[in-house]
Formats: sequence, C-alpha cells, structure tokens
Amino acid sequence: MKCVIEGSNVKVFGKAIHALSRISDEMWLDPLEKGLAVRSVGPAHSSYGCFLFTRLFFQLYSLNISSPQAALGRCKLPVKSVLPLFRCSASIERSVDSCKISTGLSDTQVTFQLFCKHGITKTYNLGFQEHDVLQAVFPAHLCPNVLKAQPSLLGDMVIHFPASQEEVTLSVCPKRVTMRNYCEERDQIKVMSTEMSLHPEEFDYFHVGVDSDITFCLKELRGLLSFAESHGLPVYVHFGHPGQPVRFSVENMVLEASVVLATQTDSESEVSVQPGGSEDPAAPSVCLSVERSQSWSPCMPPSVCTGGGVESRPQDAPPTAPPEEQVPSSQGSPVLSRPGNLEYFGLHVATDSGAHAAEPESADPATFRLHSLLFGAVSSPWPNEGDVLHTSLACASDTEEDNMEERSSATPMPIY
Amino acid sequence: MPLSTQSDQGDGQYVLVASLDNVRNLSNILKAIAFKDHALFNATPNGLKVTVEDSKCLQANAFIQSEIFQEFTIQEDSVSFQVNLTVLLDCLTIFGGSTVPGVTTALRLCYNGYGYPLKLFLEEGGVVTVCKINTQEPEEPIDFEFCSTNVTNKVILQSDSLREAFSELDMTSEVLQITMSPSQPYFRLSTFGNSGNAHYDYPKDSDMMELFQCTKTQTNRYKMSLLKPSTKALALSCKVSVRTDSQGFLSLQYLVRNDDGQICFVEYYCCPDEDVEEE
Repeated sequence: MKCVIEGSNVKVFGKAIHALSRISDEMWLDPLEKGLAVRSVGPAHSSYGCFLFTRLFFQLYSLNISSPQAALGRCKLPVKSVLPLFRCSASIERSVDSCKISTGLSDTQVTFQLFCKHGITKTYNLGFQEHDVLQAVFPAHLCPNVLKAQPSLLGDMVIHFPASQEEVTLSVCPKRVTMRNYCEERDQIKVMSTEMSLHPEEFDYFHVGVDSDITFCLKELRGLLSFAESHGLPVYVHFGHPGQPVRFSVENMVLEASVVLATQTDSESEVSVQPGGSEDPAAPSVCLSVERSQSWSPCMPPSVCTGGGVESRPQDAPPTAPPEEQVPSSQGSPVLSRPGNLEYFGLHVATDSGAHAAEPESADPATFRLHSLLFGAVSSPWPNEGDVLHTSLACASDTEEDNMEERSSATPMPIY
Repeated sequence: MPLSTQSDQGDGQYVLVASLDNVRNLSNILKAIAFKDHALFNATPNGLKVTVEDSKCLQANAFIQSEIFQEFTIQEDSVSFQVNLTVLLDCLTIFGGSTVPGVTTALRLCYNGYGYPLKLFLEEGGVVTVCKINTQEPEEPIDFEFCSTNVTNKVILQSDSLREAFSELDMTSEVLQITMSPSQPYFRLSTFGNSGNAHYDYPKDSDMMELFQCTKTQTNRYKMSLLKPSTKALALSCKVSVRTDSQGFLSLQYLVRNDDGQICFVEYYCCPDEDVEEE
C-alpha cells in the first residue's frame, strides 16, 4: 500500500494518532480497498478505536489487492514509534507539505516520509510486529439509544471531570441526560462528586429506547472528543443496556472515526464466579474479531455482540441489516473467514486480580469461562429465522475454548 | 561558593582584567559548553577561549573576542588557568536571570596569574558581589589536528532547521550517523533506535543550506551522548557549519549573536565512533 497525505490533512492524521494513543500503546495500520483504517485496541480489550480514512482523504492511495496478504501491509506498530512524527501539530502545519506512507515493501518495516519545507525530507522506517488485525464488531443499528451532539457540548461536559477521573456514568431517560463521575461504593465519602444534567433539546438527535445508566472509561474517550472538537464534527453515541458496549463516532466526507468502549454490567449473576475471589465486577470487554492473514471471503456475516448475559439479548429478530451499517471497520472488509467458523475471540476481562489480557492460553479454564460469560452471543447474520448460531455463552465458552484449540492447530492465529 | 584559599593581591598586579557591562554576553555562551564541571580558560590579546572536554573524544570551545568586552587588558601573551565551570556560572548568574529591560549585571573579571584565585566583581543596581574562585593547573587541550586543508566536506546551514531535526532525533539511538556527499542524499542525519531508523535529508539546493562543499561521499557515526550537549550551542546560534575531515572527525561551528548583536563562536569537535566500520 502506498498513500500520500497532503497539506492540512497531515495534521488531521496526526491528531487521529494522538486520539488513538489514548486507547492503547499499539496501533494497527490496515489498508483496505476503500481507505486506510488505523485501529487501536485497549488493554484487556475493553476499548477499541478506529479511524478510517477514505480514498478522498489522500492525494494518492494505491493498494495492490492481488498481491499476497503480507504485501498489503497490515501491521501492528507501537504508538510511541509513530506519535513522535506527529508530535507537534503546530509545527506540522507550518513545515510539512506532505506525508507518504508505504507498507508492504518490507516484511519488517513500514515507511513514513514527511516532505517538509526547504526541501527537507524526513524518512522513518518503523519496525512492526505482525499482520493480523483486530476489529470490533458493533451493531449500531441495533442500539436502542442514539444521541447526536455537537462536539462542544460533549467537550463542555467532560471538561468538568478532572483528568484523573477514570470512569463516568452516563444516564439517559426520555427527559434528561446525566453524566456523573463513577467511584466505588467505598470511596464515595472521600471523593468529590460531579454531576450534570442536560435537556434532550441540547442534542441534535435524541432517541432513548431504554432508560439506561452506562459506566465507561472516560480517559479513552477524550482523544476522540478532542479530535471531534478540533474538526467541528458532531458526535454520535450509540448504546443500550449497561454491559453493552457504547460507541462514539464522528464522520465527514473523508473519514469516519469511532471509539467503542465496554460498559460495566450491573448484574450480579454475571460476575459472581471469580477464581480470584474478588468481589468487584469485572469490566466487560468489547467484542472483537480477527482477520486472518491468509485468506478471506468477501462475504461475511455481521455478528451481534451484546455485553449482557445470555438472557439479556435485547432483540428477538435476527439482524437483517446489511454489513454496510456496521462499524466502518467491517464495512465491506473481510471480518470473518468462513461463515459458521467465526474467528471470534478477544475475551479478556480486566479483573482486579490482574488482567489476563495478553495470554489467554495461560489463563486457567475457570477464568476463561468467566471471560466468555461477559460477552454476548454471536448469532448468525443470515436472515434465516431460527438459524441462530450461539447458543448460550456459558456453553459456548467451553466449546469455544475447545474450538479455539482446534482452530489454532488448524490455522495459526495470534491470540491476545 | 568556595572561599579562596589562595593568596590575594592588590589591584595593580592583575595579569588579566576583563569587564563587561552585561555579564550575559559571557554567561550565555559559557552555558552552551557547560557539559562538564571543569573548563580551561585561555586568554590572549585576541580574547578569551574557554575549552571543555569529555573523555578525550569531544571538545567544545567558546570564543569571546576582546572587542566584546568593554575592557580587556592582558599583561602577557597567553594566560591559562582551569576553573570549575559550574561554580563560575553560578557566580556569573548570582543576581538571577533578570530580564527587566535596561537592568543588566556588570562583570569585572580579574586574575593575578598562576596560583591566584579568579576574582569576579558583579554589580547590579548598586549591589556588588565579590567572588573568588580557586584556579587549577591548566591541562593541555586535545589537538584534533583539524585544519582546513584536511576538510573533505563542509556545509553551512541555518540553525533553525537543524534545531528542529536535533529536537526530533530519536534518543534511543546510540549513534548519530552523518552522511555528506556530492550526490544524493547530499546531507543526511540518521538514527537507529528502538522503533526503527530515521533519516533527515537536506538537499544541497535547500534554502536552509547556505554553503555546500562536498567533495567525497562520507558516512560517519558519532555517539549520540557526545553530541547531545551541542544542542545548547545550536539553540543559541543562527548558523552552523558542519565539517568532516579525512579521518571522519567532526567539527561543528556555531555562530552566536549575543544580547548586543555581537558575534561569538562556539565549536565542537567530535571523534567518530570507532566501533562501527565506516560505510
């Protein structure tokens, strides 16, 4: 893949990298047919960010689809390798004329070239780690609650929370929207509480299907909000019951960006079994799927992922929406390799006893079972009623673990 | 500051007397080479040369011509002594970094000769501070044998662009590689760090390039830790000349304008990193 970003878009790209850096220390470059997706997955897979830059964003975008997978140039890079290139947006605006990104030319490096004023060229050959890409699966069209707000509205809300505030709770009902800081029960006496309410009229679009209080990590969102503010893009918020992920997204002609965050469940039954004996609810994770680097089928089933337990699937009808309505990352791009054999994992939960995010293989089966519980069932997308694929999560977890072992022996796949 | 343990003498016997209305014209330049505690001072009728060295591989010199001083009297052809530069700078800036317009600290520097302390009189707003700093045996500075006839490649750049490059250099790289060539890439700074490698290319016709005289393609590596202190001089300067000789020794010369617009020079000499074979 080779692309050239010109002029002021270099600064936009840089800001996107800054926003993604709030989510994780690593990012993926994923060249797609319709543009370049830059993704980031947070620790314990509880957050996911994706910026998709369409072809219009680039002065030149060239992707050689027929070339072998590795040459497409999907790669995972440490954010700290890329961030310094775009560190100071004021100086980028002043001195950088264009930025060229080339991937796939080398097995181990991706090249960023900044063409600056006075004829100066800065070339960075950054080593990357691997090819597989994680994408979040988020059926926005199924979310009962949808808000659209000007970025300054959300910016003004979050500015009242100190930078150290990790989590906030967003409560919606048809009459009002409230945001307050979240703290553990035992800490409530000691911390300052902040709460603010907004009237539905302050939103450009306000649709509340279910009253809901969702608690999510604010820190990871701030990057997207500041990106939205600097570009004046309205922010869409899609969410549902507590435990289901929430998605914040912005878009314009040339890019689409979204951040999907896991939200805390409030159901005891789902978090009762903890091998570590911790009483705190474990933070659920975002549903992720992996693209295999070997081959893919162009037609893939959209998946439904709900964050509640088995019983709490909010909708009865199988999803009938075409893939295009799902997160930009999965639009038209291969997400799953074969129908019925869903590469669906990423089941990691940050527990207080320590995150097992990195090595699921080393997690004991009990932990793994618990992790699976917090993910919603993944159903078959095909509009064949009754052809629902999975089954209860509790069962699926065992099976899934077995399946994963089988799969991993069949096809090598990195497991996070 | 240390009390003087060396004997003092009356006023008329000073071997060197130098006065400045604005001590910053001296202290700012000295800060650009203050990466080690000790400095060698060498005064001649031309002016003052201050030398700082590191591990026999790096040498920095600051030149303050006699014309910069309001008074510069020297009784001998050459006067040399060594002092603790950190202490000296503390004394020179004893009144703090006052940037109130019109208010400057004046300096009168007096030296009796071998065995006597360096005496500094600093005055600001009617308040006078007297400092006496012990001097030490002057050591012979390294002679890098870097002379114009040996120079293979030379470029002069405007400091702005090089400042930006140096501020962005990947510090996880142990070396800075400098390539100078009559053909592409002309002038290139490269680093090899944990994330990968980075190259900064300046074309010979860049408007940042004031002079480009490269006769031979040369690539040399220098330890990043040795070159890092030079960024202070780079920050003060408006132009820098980069020269390498046939052995790969590097000379960086910085043109610095002081507060009054007068010109001083700072230069750095650096040995190439010999662990790596030259390409």
